[in-house]
Amino acid sequence: MPQIETKYFGSVPYEAGSVIEFPAGLPGFENEHRFLPIEIESYRPLVFLQSLADRGLCFLTMPVAAVDPQYRLEVTAEDLAVLGLGRQTTPAPGVLCLAVVTVSEDAITANLLAPLVVNLANRRGVQAIRPEPSYSHQHRLEPAEVAACS
Amino acid sequence: MLMMRRRAGESILIGADICIYIAHIGRSRVKIAIDAPRNVKVVAQEVAVVEEQNRAAAASAAVAAAGGLARTIEKFRQASARRSDMPLEG
Repeated sequence: MPQIETKYFGSVPYEAGSVIEFPAGLPGFENEHRFLPIEIESYRPLVFLQSLADRGLCFLTMPVAAVDPQYRLEVTAEDLAVLGLGRQTTPAPGVLCLAVVTVSEDAITANLLAPLVVNLANRRGVQAIRPEPSYSHQHRLEPAEVAACS
Repeated sequence: MLMMRRRAGESILIGADICIYIAHIGRSRVKIAIDAPRNVKVVAQEVAVVEEQNRAAAASAAVAAAGGLARTIEKFRQASARRSDMPLEG
């Protein structure tokens, strides 16, 4: 089984079949095409998305449904073509939908404007920027009182 | 902000070497052709927003690690405790 050097968890064995391929990379990281999702029970619902090419690049993500159970997915025809999927309006079985999480000193936010959508059947992914800005790219996860108490 | 009215087939020049051509006007979308030097980056505004957010997210992982990833996650779990624990493929 191949091993990967990860940013947080040292060397981790992985199955080649669990790698997600982003043919276009991610905006700002156009040359990063292959990521390994790492789930660790004690960190659920977080999913770590470790770059295969760059050990120092690991995104924190979480399922959009865990951020907003009512989330309505909207993916452009171009992005659906990349994924090899038909029209989707809700996070469906077989389609993984992750929000990229940003941690700053005073807040934790999730990017609901541009979720990472992955077709688990072919392990292809795309960061699907919504055609209409109906969700925020900085959806705040942490209530103010939690920040105040910490 | 400068406002101009243009019809399909008409153009706008910005400086000496940027040309914006209104290629097609549909019911709710316009198709625009842009001619610009290679060193001028042309992206949709929302793409630029996502680029910046992704860079912040990549850098923020360092913030999380510096403050102790586990502690950050704990705060995060408290914040999301009220939400249902959704399965990964839900």
